[in-house]
Amino acid sequence: MSRESAILVRDLVKNYTTYLRKGLFKREKKIVKALKGISFTVNKGEVFGLLGPNGAGKTTTVKILSTLLLPDGGEAKILGYDVVKEAAKVRKVIGVSLTVEKGFFWKLTGRENLIYFGMLYGMGGPFLKRRVEEILDLVGLNQLGATDKLYEEYSLGMKARLSIARALITDPEVLILDEPTLGLDPPSARTLRELLVKIAHEKGKTVLVTTHNMFEAEIMCDRIAIINEGKIIALDTVENLKRSVANNVALEIFAFLPANVPVKSIIETIKGKTGIVSDAFAENGGFRIKLVIPPAESDEITSKVLKILHEYKCSVKKVEVKEPSLEDVFIQLTGKSGF
Amino acid sequence: MSLKALLKSGIMLDLYFYKNNRGAFISMLLWPYLMLALILGMGMMLGSPEAFKENVGLAVNPIIFFIASTLIAMASVDVMWGVGGNVLFYRWVGTLPYILLSPNKTSPTLVLTYIPRYLLFTFIQIMEFVPLILVLEGVYRGILDIGIFILAATVGMLPLLGFSALFASFLLTIKEESNVLSWLNPIILLFSGAFYPVYLLPHWARLISQLLPSTYTIELARTVAIIGTPKLAAITFLIGILAGMTIFYNVLAYMFVDAGEKKAMKEGAI
Repeated sequence: MSRESAILVRDLVKNYTTYLRKGLFKREKKIVKALKGISFTVNKGEVFGLLGPNGAGKTTTVKILSTLLLPDGGEAKILGYDVVKEAAKVRKVIGVSLTVEKGFFWKLTGRENLIYFGMLYGMGGPFLKRRVEEILDLVGLNQLGATDKLYEEYSLGMKARLSIARALITDPEVLILDEPTLGLDPPSARTLRELLVKIAHEKGKTVLVTTHNMFEAEIMCDRIAIINEGKIIALDTVENLKRSVANNVALEIFAFLPANVPVKSIIETIKGKTGIVSDAFAENGGFRIKLVIPPAESDEITSKVLKILHEYKCSVKKVEVKEPSLEDVFIQLTGKSGF
Repeated sequence: MSLKALLKSGIMLDLYFYKNNRGAFISMLLWPYLMLALILGMGMMLGSPEAFKENVGLAVNPIIFFIASTLIAMASVDVMWGVGGNVLFYRWVGTLPYILLSPNKTSPTLVLTYIPRYLLFTFIQIMEFVPLILVLEGVYRGILDIGIFILAATVGMLPLLGFSALFASFLLTIKEESNVLSWLNPIILLFSGAFYPVYLLPHWARLISQLLPSTYTIELARTVAIIGTPKLAAITFLIGILAGMTIFYNVLAYMFVDAGEKKAMKEGAI
């Protein structure tokens, strides 16, 4: 393990056994391969993003690194400590946030919750009180006047801040955060992202964050690992990942479609006729289709796609050719549309 | 990490909870009398106080007998829910992973954070019965009864902590969210003789009773209620059994909770 590596993951494997009900008494055993031998390292003081769709293996990775889940193979180390053999030591150097919408006692205030968890983690006395105030200031809950409100009265944004606060209470070297901005409104999400970058770059903490929000990963993370179906399919800085598809352009078409036509069938037709996977999402009552294509074929493919849309009686409002984004990188690497 | 820190975190959690929930505090104060009324009501349905005296075979005040039962039954239920049931509660509110992330073994964390609450609330509940006991038994006998009740509730708690932690280990491993304790607790109380003396139960049920620590705790409390001033040998004998069970169940819990946690971590149940 490099001296500068805070987290090392090598050939990590995790399978889950699930049972499918077959009638009243029968059930069928099914093995779900959540992680298929992933490897990556996170450097000290960086914000590292684990980006992938739901079910890709992000939370499994986070739980293994947090010592809450045992892997079936491979190894993972945090600051040199093995997450299986030296779990107690790992727990002393990490701060964890697994969900933002729960994980605290509803009938306690934010401050009381932090004091309780601080005590549970071995802190106490004036030091704990001082630390709680520092952290409440850092995450902005003091400024919001929320520290003496019951947790049940918190907004999702406040809950997310409190979750980060608990992760920071013991002043850990490594923060492991699972979807810390999930469900937050844009201003709250932006505040939290800025906070995490500040914690890493100004306070020298290592932050591993999972997200399925590509915009967020792009602006927050120093490096990103794209994980899909239990495998890491790309790992680099955002700039380098974008450069890997720089030879291509992103074609974006905004259109309205008749009520009885599902977008999915249009995507499938485009794939069938052009061989290119596109991504589509609803926007302003219509939908936006994105395709990553080689510039040389852009005219041909554009006319093919427009023809398909015409056949589906879609009303095309805008056609744009753009530089590829991280989302385009994902589509090209996975061959999958949208999260 | 020190045991003191775990005990303190348990105290703080409960103080904060009751500070912010006056209704829950009032319910806690009312509960002993509600429970006594329930047990007395059930007893009256089965027969009159005279019939009860005939069955027991001694000149026993049924109210004192059932106060003893009530206190110990409440304490037993409280321990079962407080240690075993807390695993489910923590899972429901989402705090379980963060509690397991504390740098302590799970078994001591579950048990030690609970002890202050138990001691405080059991003491409060016993104190609530003081006026009634003093009226029924007189000052000298009443004070003796209360002392024995406090001793029984304290000593009787120790094996129950381990016994309940075993349920915690079971609840850690099962992915189902139903609380087995809700139907298991009344059965345990029945076998322990909380509703009717153990010797009136069928033979097979008495065999189960012998394995339950709550049986001896209830027996200890009732020894006072039935015999009046019990012999030291009788009390020592019961405390001896409870001490042995304390070691047995707590050692077992220490091993099983660890194993349960590992199984849960292997299966992704946390």
